[in-house]
Amino acid sequence: MTLQLAVTFSQLSLSHYLVMSSVLFVIGLVGFLTRRNLIVMFLCTELMFQAAAIAFVAFGRYWYDFTGQVFVIFILTVAAAEAALALALVVLLYRRRSTLNADEWMELSE
Amino acid sequence: MMSWLLILLPLVGVLGIIAAPARLAKVTALLTTLVVFGVSIAAAVGFGGWGNGTMGLTGSFQWLTNYGIEIQVGADSVSLVLVLLTTFLMPLAVLGSFSSVKDRLREYYGWLLGLQAAMIGVFLARDLVLFYVCFEFTLVPMFFLIAIYGSTNRARASVKFMIYTFTGSLITLAAFLWLAWSASQAADGQWTFAIADLTRHATTSLAASEQAWLLLALLIGFGVKVPIFPVHTWLPLAHTEAPTAGSVILAGVLLKLGTYGLYRFMLPMCPEAVVEWAPVIAILAIIGIIYAALICWIQTDVKKLVAYSSVSHLGFCILGLFALNPMGLEGSILYMVNHGLSTGALFFLIGMMYERFHTRDMRAIGGLAGRMPIWACFMVFFVLASVGLPGLNGFVSEFLCLIAVFTAGEGGAYPGVLGPWYAAIAALGMIFAAMYLLIMVGKIVFGPERLPAGNHDDGPLPKDLGVREIVVLVPLAVLCLVLGVQPWIIIDGTSAAVADTLAVYQPLLEQASQQTGSAVSNALAGGAP
Amino acid sequence: MTGTTIAIRIAESIPAVPAVPMADVVEATSHWWAGFILWCPLISLVLCGLCAAFRVKSKLPAWITVLSLACSFTFTVILGNLEDVPERINLFEWIAVFWSDGSFVANFALYIDSLTILWMSFVTGLGTLIALYASEYMEPDLGKGYARFFAGVSVFLFAMGCLVMGDNLLMLYLGWEGVGFASYWLIGYYYRRPEAVAAAKKAFIVNRIGDLGLALAIYLIWATFGTIQYNELMTLLDEGTYATVYEHWSVEAIPYLLMLAAFGKSAQLPLYIWLPDAMEGPTPVSALIHAATMVTAGIYLIARMYPFFLLEPTSLHVVAWVGGLTALLAATIGMAQYDIKRIFAYSTVSQLGFMFLGLGVLTTYGASYHVFTHAFFKAVLFLTAGAVMHGFAGQLDLRKLSGLRRMKGWRIVAWTMFVGCICLAGFPFTSGYFSKDAILAEAFVTQGPGFEILGWIAIFTAFLTAYYTFRVWCRVCAGPVHFEPGDELHDDDHHDDGHDEGHGFHPHAPRFAINFVLVVIAAGALLASVPYFMTNEVSDIKGGWIADMVNDSTAASGIPGHAEHPGTIAHDHSGDHGHHHGSILGMDPHVAMYYISGVVGGVGLFLAFWLHLWRRQDADRLRSWLLARAWIRWLPVAMENKWYVDEVYHALVRAPLWLLGHIFHGFDRYIIDGLLVDGTARLPRLVAKWFQPLQNGMLQSYAITMAGGAALIALLMILMMQFFEGGGVQ
Repeated sequence: MTLQLAVTFSQLSLSHYLVMSSVLFVIGLVGFLTRRNLIVMFLCTELMFQAAAIAFVAFGRYWYDFTGQVFVIFILTVAAAEAALALALVVLLYRRRSTLNADEWMELSE
Repeated sequence: MMSWLLILLPLVGVLGIIAAPARLAKVTALLTTLVVFGVSIAAAVGFGGWGNGTMGLTGSFQWLTNYGIEIQVGADSVSLVLVLLTTFLMPLAVLGSFSSVKDRLREYYGWLLGLQAAMIGVFLARDLVLFYVCFEFTLVPMFFLIAIYGSTNRARASVKFMIYTFTGSLITLAAFLWLAWSASQAADGQWTFAIADLTRHATTSLAASEQAWLLLALLIGFGVKVPIFPVHTWLPLAHTEAPTAGSVILAGVLLKLGTYGLYRFMLPMCPEAVVEWAPVIAILAIIGIIYAALICWIQTDVKKLVAYSSVSHLGFCILGLFALNPMGLEGSILYMVNHGLSTGALFFLIGMMYERFHTRDMRAIGGLAGRMPIWACFMVFFVLASVGLPGLNGFVSEFLCLIAVFTAGEGGAYPGVLGPWYAAIAALGMIFAAMYLLIMVGKIVFGPERLPAGNHDDGPLPKDLGVREIVVLVPLAVLCLVLGVQPWIIIDGTSAAVADTLAVYQPLLEQASQQTGSAVSNALAGGAP
Repeated sequence: MTGTTIAIRIAESIPAVPAVPMADVVEATSHWWAGFILWCPLISLVLCGLCAAFRVKSKLPAWITVLSLACSFTFTVILGNLEDVPERINLFEWIAVFWSDGSFVANFALYIDSLTILWMSFVTGLGTLIALYASEYMEPDLGKGYARFFAGVSVFLFAMGCLVMGDNLLMLYLGWEGVGFASYWLIGYYYRRPEAVAAAKKAFIVNRIGDLGLALAIYLIWATFGTIQYNELMTLLDEGTYATVYEHWSVEAIPYLLMLAAFGKSAQLPLYIWLPDAMEGPTPVSALIHAATMVTAGIYLIARMYPFFLLEPTSLHVVAWVGGLTALLAATIGMAQYDIKRIFAYSTVSQLGFMFLGLGVLTTYGASYHVFTHAFFKAVLFLTAGAVMHGFAGQLDLRKLSGLRRMKGWRIVAWTMFVGCICLAGFPFTSGYFSKDAILAEAFVTQGPGFEILGWIAIFTAFLTAYYTFRVWCRVCAGPVHFEPGDELHDDDHHDDGHDEGHGFHPHAPRFAINFVLVVIAAGALLASVPYFMTNEVSDIKGGWIADMVNDSTAASGIPGHAEHPGTIAHDHSGDHGHHHGSILGMDPHVAMYYISGVVGGVGLFLAFWLHLWRRQDADRLRSWLLARAWIRWLPVAMENKWYVDEVYHALVRAPLWLLGHIFHGFDRYIIDGLLVDGTARLPRLVAKWFQPLQNGMLQSYAITMAGGAALIALLMILMMQFFEGGGVQ
């Protein structure tokens, strides 16, 4: 069983990773589009980030090019910084209107 | 070194303004512009290129060497003359706005200084990148000067000014990039943006049709800036709405960026196309002269009148350039300076009037000579300079431009593609100029006194010019007189540079006049029966 | 042979003549002091300006001006009497452009020949006297206006000096526009009066039309000959180089362009309209600028450039006919006016017409002599009119003034005016008699199209002149004492004397300065006939030193050695009277003219005395008789309305231009700016309108759009890839 599993594991091709990545991405996307809660929406964007990161790693491995891995580290760093910033913004917004509903902010409409 | 100083000092002044409290802003700006003026005088005195066509004040700075982008500065005599015009006008513009600008002082003077740096940069640039960056950057300060400190219709005016001239210059940018690309193709991928190299490339390896496209693209960008006839409509609006100093700089220097561009790029880079198309450009210029003059004639807004008169006057400047002979080019260079002085002064005077009476409508105001005799004296003086009274500056340049056009072609002593008819029709502009400017003087300076109703109930009637205002005007008047009587100061200094520019035209023009001209010039040339 | 090749050949023949021969410059510096003829008025201008700035309330500006003009006059006289005056005196470099194979040079230099001296002597002489006169006349304006006035006079004298003494056409142009500007300045002196401002503007603009001709002439002369300096031009013409040019079109065009300039400045048809209006200026200005000196610049120009006219005979015919017709037209208008100054103004136009007639019929001498005499007697007439205006509070209507010669303190005015009148009328043995006859006779001598008719027109005009001149004198100076003051009471009259307008009005008679000047200039007007009898040194024609001076200059009416050229005018003047003469009534025209013009003048004078002194009611009766007859009614009406020339101008020139201006303005605003520029700018906005609903502010709708867009792009890419791959396979 373990052998079987190992064999199966080694048989994982690039497309498996890409499917995984796109599933993750679609989950994030749908979550972002359907939920109104700012924090949930933010987490969904994080999911999409990770989807992209998986794709990068997969491609990096596939081509034996470490640029992909470099990019993942880059994405993680940016995501961390951005998470700090975004959460701070969310906190500020919450203080203004005491709600986390995204539809409360529509000032940009024409 | 001097060049860097000239470009960077105004920016240092901007830092000074940011650092200093608001009430010191104007003094800082004045000091900075004075220092820059001093530096430019020192540069001019030490300049080795007077009368011999060489470059001086050179310097370079490696930037993106992989792409051949090297920031190069330097000046030949023509550039330096225009730099001097800029540095001369700036302290006056600053001094002239002391009383008219009352709030957001730091921004105002900061933008003025930024503008100065950009303008000097344009004239000193020896590579296209620096040139284009500075050329476009002049728009930004001007945009804010109009949009923040302008009069009622300022928002529209500033946006129009910005978008119109920017659109024109984008086409010029495209031409520049194409030219650099073509040069790099010719030089095995070795990129360069140096003006001298590109000029050499353009004259030696471009086909006539390629030159024609280059000419067209340059004409659009610089023609909007000058402005030449069909693309002039941004100018009256921008002038009318701009604050006084803005109008002065706009008329005095910014319009000259266009003519300078034509002189610096179009004439040397596409000689064959210029010979081919000079008649067309000349006809546009002549239409501009007559058309704008007649529009001036029926204006009621003084500032608009002077603005349209710029369109008319610069037509002469363009004509001089495309006469393609030394007199024409000298006349044109003189015209750039003279127009800057006299029209700049007229905008100052109108600003002073506006400050006192809050109107520019000739129907509402008039007969100020009795109340403001000093102002009236200056007004008449500068109007006469603008009309082209011999003995004052305007005459010399106008005369040289017209005689150059007259002789350039059939019936003339020197080969060229224009001719007597061009000069004869353009010279009608002299009559029209007298008409509209004297009507303006007759209305606002002379005649029975008319003051706009109901704006002086709250205070004493306005007084004549104060010392500060006189100090602004006197240098301009003196220079108008000096350049009217001793124009050799500029003519002799720039003659060699002009001769260099024209060297490439000698064979072309002789060929053109022997083969009875190209198709275009043949169809359009007037001249001998 | 095309024009270009000729022009190039001429230009090629010239570079041998460097624009400023070095030897010339060196030599010229020896007479640098001659420049003070010009610098004196300039210094005076600066000092008057300072007076205005420091609010000097005295007559200082007047004395400065008089003194400096007197200095100019003295220098002129000295220069004229020097034995070895250089032809050119270089002062400084003005406009000079040099290039590899040519140059354009116009230096600030003086060209001294006898014509220059003749002109400058009466310009500076009369200028001095009239400035002296004005020192009293302008008294009511003491202060800023006073300084402004004398500054204007100084500018004028400077410009006139440049015009006359300039060594090249550009200097002439400088003076030409300069006097126009001085005239603008001084006509508009009373700047609060709309009429004065309008008149000043009109003068400047109409003159500018003439200036255009001069400018084009300069361009053309330079283009053809490669120089604009008189000495080089005259040398080229003299040497016969012109023979090559002769068939070049420019030779035909140059005289007409110069003519346009001359007609503008000297108020000839069709550009004379500005001169009568110019009388809005102070009277000394009318006397100096608009009668004696500036308006003769046109005659000077043609005289100076006479060789060009001789090359194109038709141009001289045009000059003669325009002169003759202007003389007649202006005289008829002058007859029907009531304003004294206006009458004199039209008479000036008319006399200038005589001078052009003289130029046209090849007597530059006659024209110049008439300029000279006219300067004196017309100055007297204007100055007396000014004295009247000054004394009677601006009254100039000749119906409201009478019997001046019987009033205390007005005798000098009345009799000096009489002197002016007899000279103008051409009464026998006065100066005007001789100078006018020189022109009239020559009209019959010289051959040209209809010159005989022209001669008779001129004689008729001389008759009208005598009539309208004495109409003024008889009305104003003779007859019973009667006057009504005008409406221009000066403020100081009000306060000092304390009387009301009209009631108990005392005309204040002129004092010393005015009387002195009047007497001097009147004496000059009488003595101006003396040169006619003086001996000749150069030639044996009548006319004395004026004839010598004219014939010794570029105005000599024949190019020596080239008279046989097929193109030059067949004429028989300039010295020898041996061959071919016209005749009047079988007599030698020069002799006959003495009798004819004497009689004509006498008749005119008699008519004036009859209608305006002895039986004044007859004049009114004549007028009402004329007005009552439908067939003749148009004549007096048209004359009184100045033949509607101003109205015609308005309809033909001003109104169309005005309309064009408005059309252009509309075109600019709605078509170019509105449609093309703003229309183009509106396109992006229109496009933006379609997409605007997307911008709804809902975060998630943006996200959907974005995701949809990304999906769309991805789809497109896939499709394209398939398309290209597919294409590649097949």
